[in-house]
Amino acid sequence: MNQAAPLRQPIRAARPLPVDLRPFLLPLAVVGLAEVMALLFVPADSFSLAAPHQIAVEFARMLVDGTFLVRTLETLGAAMAGLALGGLLGLAAGVMLGLSEAADKVTSMTVEVLRPMPPTALIPLSLLVFGFGLTMEIAIVAFTTIWPVLVLGRAAVRETEPRLMEVAKVLRMSFFRRLTRIVIPGAIPRIFVAFRLAAAIALIVSVTVEIVANPRGLGYGMMLSSQALRPATAFAFLVWIAIVGWGFNRVLILVERHLFGGLQGDAR
Amino acid sequence: MRAIWFFASLAFTACLIGLWQLASATGLASPIFLPAPTRVLDALVAGFSSGAMPAKLGATTARVFVGWALASLLGVALGALIGVSQRARIYIAPSLEFLRPLPVSALVPIFIGLLGYSEQMVLAVIAFGAFWPCLLSTIHGFSAVEPRLYEVSKVLGLSRWSMIRKIALPSALPDIIAGMRVGLTVSLILVVVGEILGSREGIGYDILLAQRAFKSPDLFAGIILLGLVGYASAIAIDWLESRLVRWR
Amino acid sequence: MDRVIQFSNVSLAIGGRHILDDINIDIARGEFVAIVGPSGCGKTTLLRLLAGLAAPSSGEILLDGTPVRAPRQDVAVVFQDYGKALLPWRTASGNIALALEAMNVPRDQWPARIAELLATMGLERDGDKRPGEMSGGMQQRLQIARCLAQQPGVLLMDEPFGALDAITRQLLQDEVLALAERTGMTVFFVTHDLEEAIYLGNRVVALNASPGRVARTFPIDLPHPRDQLSTREHPTFLELRHDLFSFIKGGTGK
Repeated sequence: MNQAAPLRQPIRAARPLPVDLRPFLLPLAVVGLAEVMALLFVPADSFSLAAPHQIAVEFARMLVDGTFLVRTLETLGAAMAGLALGGLLGLAAGVMLGLSEAADKVTSMTVEVLRPMPPTALIPLSLLVFGFGLTMEIAIVAFTTIWPVLVLGRAAVRETEPRLMEVAKVLRMSFFRRLTRIVIPGAIPRIFVAFRLAAAIALIVSVTVEIVANPRGLGYGMMLSSQALRPATAFAFLVWIAIVGWGFNRVLILVERHLFGGLQGDAR
Repeated sequence: MRAIWFFASLAFTACLIGLWQLASATGLASPIFLPAPTRVLDALVAGFSSGAMPAKLGATTARVFVGWALASLLGVALGALIGVSQRARIYIAPSLEFLRPLPVSALVPIFIGLLGYSEQMVLAVIAFGAFWPCLLSTIHGFSAVEPRLYEVSKVLGLSRWSMIRKIALPSALPDIIAGMRVGLTVSLILVVVGEILGSREGIGYDILLAQRAFKSPDLFAGIILLGLVGYASAIAIDWLESRLVRWR
Repeated sequence: MDRVIQFSNVSLAIGGRHILDDINIDIARGEFVAIVGPSGCGKTTLLRLLAGLAAPSSGEILLDGTPVRAPRQDVAVVFQDYGKALLPWRTASGNIALALEAMNVPRDQWPARIAELLATMGLERDGDKRPGEMSGGMQQRLQIARCLAQQPGVLLMDEPFGALDAITRQLLQDEVLALAERTGMTVFFVTHDLEEAIYLGNRVVALNASPGRVARTFPIDLPHPRDQLSTREHPTFLELRHDLFSFIKGGTGK
């Protein structure tokens, strides 16, 4: 209704470019500054810092010799296995609690007490029960990812369009039919969002567990190079972990847009 | 009615604990992995009466609080600066978005390299971790102010500073608190990482020692305490939110 | 004639698309001018130019003889979307206080001024309510009250009653008429409701669409005070209504 007239000071690129380059200026400036600072103040054999060009060399080496590939697969494997387990448990619980108000109220205290538990507190316990390896990592990722999926899944089910539920009643649909024909299909886009958020968390938790205790994956690779006093290698791992995290999220968002259109709020 | 549901959910929790007790009493669960609740309670009582536990709990809680408060202050201030300026957002926001999924724990080795196994290292890790959600959420809050309200403040002739203080800040407040809430959760996660990797006295380091000594009642006691700190901080943030954004 | 507002050869093009083309309108002090036209004709844009929220590509808008370059405190704007234009975290009184703060009214005068403004718009018992607790009509009353706190010489209204139900709309029409008469404000009223335009205005300016041009001006020769029943049944009203409807229908080529 209100035609938007331009404001007084429209902010435009100086020239229309095919790619907006402005977001790249800050990272370039930071890297450039780091290089200069490293040249001036950091000795070449420093135990804690490294110059960007040294990091780049290590990055290229590990990218080519397969170190990154192997370690990334280990980390992503644990994260995805944990997500599958925790996500399915969380989804089952979320759908149940979303459908039954009584069940939700009865379990509310248990959920509220367990949910804020920091997952890192479970690292020693998981270590005690499972020892080092894939299983202990999966267990912690699973525990962490239960909660976001449970909470968001519960909300998605609860917000089924009431009009549709009335239609289902008028049609005398059975409980099972109502669940599979109306509740779940309606909630699927939001359940996907829940899994996307949980996937990001799963990756973070995996790397954390590897850094704190578990001798496998990207986190351990980074910890190892840091303890070996090879800062360039450690920083190269850090950059790679950032790229993996970003790329992983990007892919999930693109899949979501492809499947459900771009209309959903980018829940954070 | 609410009281009935409260007791029902209390009873449900009690039942779960009862099952746990039963499982250990019948030997269904190994006492090495899953000690009976009564033994965990004994460990808690012993820890508190000796005075060792309160000191560790205090150290851990203080780290969480100081790191988080520092991060929130910086995050809100910087987030407001970036958020109110469309120009700043164009240049800075994409870099921040790129760093958002980065696990902060990955920075612990770097922080150890710079600060050693020190108290400052643990605080820096916590503050750095809690800073991001607060910063990003604040930027989002300030950039999502209803454009119509900006027009209203222009038509009323409000100064830029008044506009930020009276319109943008209150409007961004729910997002700011949401960011601080996530920051608190992150702080709690990272205090454990920092204490374990930095070997700093506290509940997080304590549970690692309990695990190494196979003292599972102490391990569970520590986990429960950390859970309680998490629960209490969630309640505190809820309270803060209900006080500050009553209009929602 | 004591001219308050003068649009002279105002045009606006955005990205090569002509939104407004060569607009010339003169408005006298105390006049109530209604702007009508098909949707997309740029009538809201015209109001935004006058408010100083946007700038024309060419031409000039004079207010009391000075060109409009930025919003001015003696020009108040009532937006259509009252839900977005009020601060949801402040009470009704607090929303009015926002304007008093902006006008640098001494704080000790606020309570009296707020009470007076609330009473003017019939909100005397709603000062402590937040917009979320008020009906649409009450929220729009509150927005008008906030505008009055600016003591404006010119009031710009952008389809202010478009989102309200028919009865509330008629009540508010009469209140705005009475207000304009009492204060001597000049009112620039954008609407898509032709009957509303005739009922309220001293003059109705009809715009054409794409690009927006002044198509025709209708002087409204109806007696004051106006009344929802007798005015709307007045032979002149019916005649004007007929003329305006057939003009708009023919003018847009539909």
